[in-house]
Amino acid sequence: MTNTVWTPELLSPAGSLEKLKVAVLYGADAVYLGGQKFGLRQASDNFTAQELREGVEFAHSRGSMVYVVLNSFLHDKDLEELPEFLSLLSELKVDAVIVSDLGVITEIQKHSNLVVHLSTQASCLNVESAKLWKKMGVTRIVLGREVTIKEAKKIKEETGLEIEMFVHGSMCMAFSGNCVISNYTQGRDSNRGGCAHSCRFEYSIDYKNNEEAKKAYFMSSKDLEGIRMLTEFIEAGIDSLKVEGRNKSHYYAATVSKVYSEALAYYKAHGNFLSDDLIRWEEELRKISHRDYTTGSLDTHADESSIYNQRESDDNEYVVTGVILEVKDQEHILLEVRSAFTAGDTLEIMPFSGVTINHTIDSVKSIANINVPKSKPGSVVKVPYIAGAERFNIIRRKINNVSAAV
Amino acid sequence: MKFITYAENLTQLKELSILVETNRIDRSELEVIIGNAFLSRYSENTIAGFEEMIVFNQKAKLQLVLEWDVLQQETLFQKNVELVSKLPLHEFKAVRVQDPGALNFIKEKFPWLKVQLIMENGNHNYAGLSRWSDFLGEQLDRLVLSNELSREHLGKYASDLKNDLEVLVFGRILLFYSPRLLLSPVNKESIQAEFEKNIEAYGTSEESPHAGFPLIENRHGTFMFNVKDLYLLDHLEELKSLKIAAVRFDLRFDDSFGHLENCIDLFKGRIAHSEIAEIKAEHPRPMIKGFYNINKTDVLFTKLKNKRIQRQDDNYIGEIVDVERDQQMALLIKSSHLNLKSGDEVQLITPEGKTKTLGLKSLTDTTGKLKESAAMNEVVLLPFISGVVAKTQVYLIQK
Ligand code: SF4
Repeated sequence: MTNTVWTPELLSPAGSLEKLKVAVLYGADAVYLGGQKFGLRQASDNFTAQELREGVEFAHSRGSMVYVVLNSFLHDKDLEELPEFLSLLSELKVDAVIVSDLGVITEIQKHSNLVVHLSTQASCLNVESAKLWKKMGVTRIVLGREVTIKEAKKIKEETGLEIEMFVHGSMCMAFSGNCVISNYTQGRDSNRGGCAHSCRFEYSIDYKNNEEAKKAYFMSSKDLEGIRMLTEFIEAGIDSLKVEGRNKSHYYAATVSKVYSEALAYYKAHGNFLSDDLIRWEEELRKISHRDYTTGSLDTHADESSIYNQRESDDNEYVVTGVILEVKDQEHILLEVRSAFTAGDTLEIMPFSGVTINHTIDSVKSIANINVPKSKPGSVVKVPYIAGAERFNIIRRKINNVSAAV
Repeated sequence: MKFITYAENLTQLKELSILVETNRIDRSELEVIIGNAFLSRYSENTIAGFEEMIVFNQKAKLQLVLEWDVLQQETLFQKNVELVSKLPLHEFKAVRVQDPGALNFIKEKFPWLKVQLIMENGNHNYAGLSRWSDFLGEQLDRLVLSNELSREHLGKYASDLKNDLEVLVFGRILLFYSPRLLLSPVNKESIQAEFEKNIEAYGTSEESPHAGFPLIENRHGTFMFNVKDLYLLDHLEELKSLKIAAVRFDLRFDDSFGHLENCIDLFKGRIAHSEIAEIKAEHPRPMIKGFYNINKTDVLFTKLKNKRIQRQDDNYIGEIVDVERDQQMALLIKSSHLNLKSGDEVQLITPEGKTKTLGLKSLTDTTGKLKESAAMNEVVLLPFISGVVAKTQVYLIQK
């Protein structure tokens, strides 16, 4: 088999400049990110102009694309500030903007030549809808998560548009852009980044038939996992596979980027997924914080098995120990600590590609070279040099008792 | 201004017809939206029942509007297209759609059929509304606006847009539309999702201060509504003066159809708003004006961020990543274009907003070696300054 097999772009979330770097280094072909305004993730550390400049330079220099989300349903006064941001994006040569509102598309077309991708927020679900958006000037459609891969193939074939689909991450149970629970219950516009995740609450449901009310997490969706559907995505010619999660951790950005990029690289090289690594990739995806996984509507439209009928929990087999800030060859590694650990613990380094490196560390020191009995989250510590470690590698640790992790 | 309402079945259509025949409302002022269980979100109407209404109306001659407001993945869309293509569309004054696919289909295949475009989901700006209006041109009958728009915006759009506008003045506020069946799985013993009738329930969460969200499940999925319904009956005159072309009375739920005559009399100015106080008082849920007075759903966003931990300008050099009390502070250089050199002076801004300055007599790396300068991604150790904590942002003072 030659190296000419086509595979889709892997598009990872970049909730901050550091996460952008992590995603790119771990294999993302493209990243999507938000500026300080106009996107749907008000709580993530969205990029300042300077960070955006640096992020675009970093990604482009490594051959990765950068898409900027402008996918809020903007009000008139929000639009007034848009042209200035658009000139910055044009100057930085971002590869596309992701938009859901026709007013925003109109303003972008008026003030720039930026390439426009239609956000999943616009809930484009069928061929005719895609044709309409094509008339409005979009070149790529991020389909609603309710669309199957087969339907997506038809949309692509009949419109000639680029098609992007979600392959991994959290999902709304509502049609995207069609949930305003937070607007009315919390006074926060969920379509301008204020979603309060009320769908994750437990509700008691009182049916009108006088029975006792039933308690259930009845409208919380399981998380999407499409690793077993990659062949179908490829055969359908889906152009881009998107991972949800700009608000999620560095560890998440690293893991999903690494797993899916390794899987796609394997397909590129072999033309199939008949790899023993498939089990390892799936195991890796289970080590990041997630709700139970589902294939959602990728194969057939999501049914009741896609509902995550339980309380949210952070319990995980692994905790992130930290992110490598600096590697001093043969001397030490400087680690930004995310969860406490002590000398004697076995740490797992996630290299940018390939299997993890396990290492039991025999000392933990502060920046002033003082031995630290237990590292504190938020601090920076030195641990002995480990061959193969690189800046921005994620380090994790297996835990027996989850609540022991700080 | 037009009076828009729904007829869910033949009986309701007949009642509306009588009101026209008895001159309670002019034929030209009234539009009646009808649908069926396949094309409309909440309708339980069978195709036979729906056809019966169309046949009745051939004599009654009310202005009927076809409701096709479901959202559809391609497979379902194809089925619905087949159904719509068989309907006697010429019997309708217009079709109302939200799905852009349905819109495009009607525009391409039935260019003579007027469209009432549902823009209730977002579409909160003039640029977008006017582009939709231009796109449809003569085929657009009117835009159905979001109930999140304030009166200020309604007035502006009514005066600036060339097409007619419609707003909801009475009825449930939809909070979400999910294609998934969410109610029947929880109560499998007593409920089978057979889709003949809507499954109805109320949801209450201890994690939310609001109780009793109305819920509906049917073949289209699940819908949840606000615990308070919209009530703008005291603003009809104002909406008229704002040049809103049509007001919609959604009387489909909670036996509200019984208010029809009062609503028409109020609309026609035959009774004063004070005379129908019982509508609000007897409604099973509180009623609100929604965002009619003002929409401030973005004010909390600025509070979600601490501006002081964001890098601000071109002199930005990096961030303090750790502080060892009375000893050292670790600075991670983040700037791609500035290097830090020994002899430089820096300004530090803490997350609380305190400002400190520091002259760098020398620079040390993390192994303790002296350095002349440090560039992006390097970590250097600076002398401790009290009050500085991790996440303090560091700026170069340019000389
Ligand atoms: S509440 Fe749930 S369904 Fe609604 S926007 Fe938020 S995450 Fe999506």
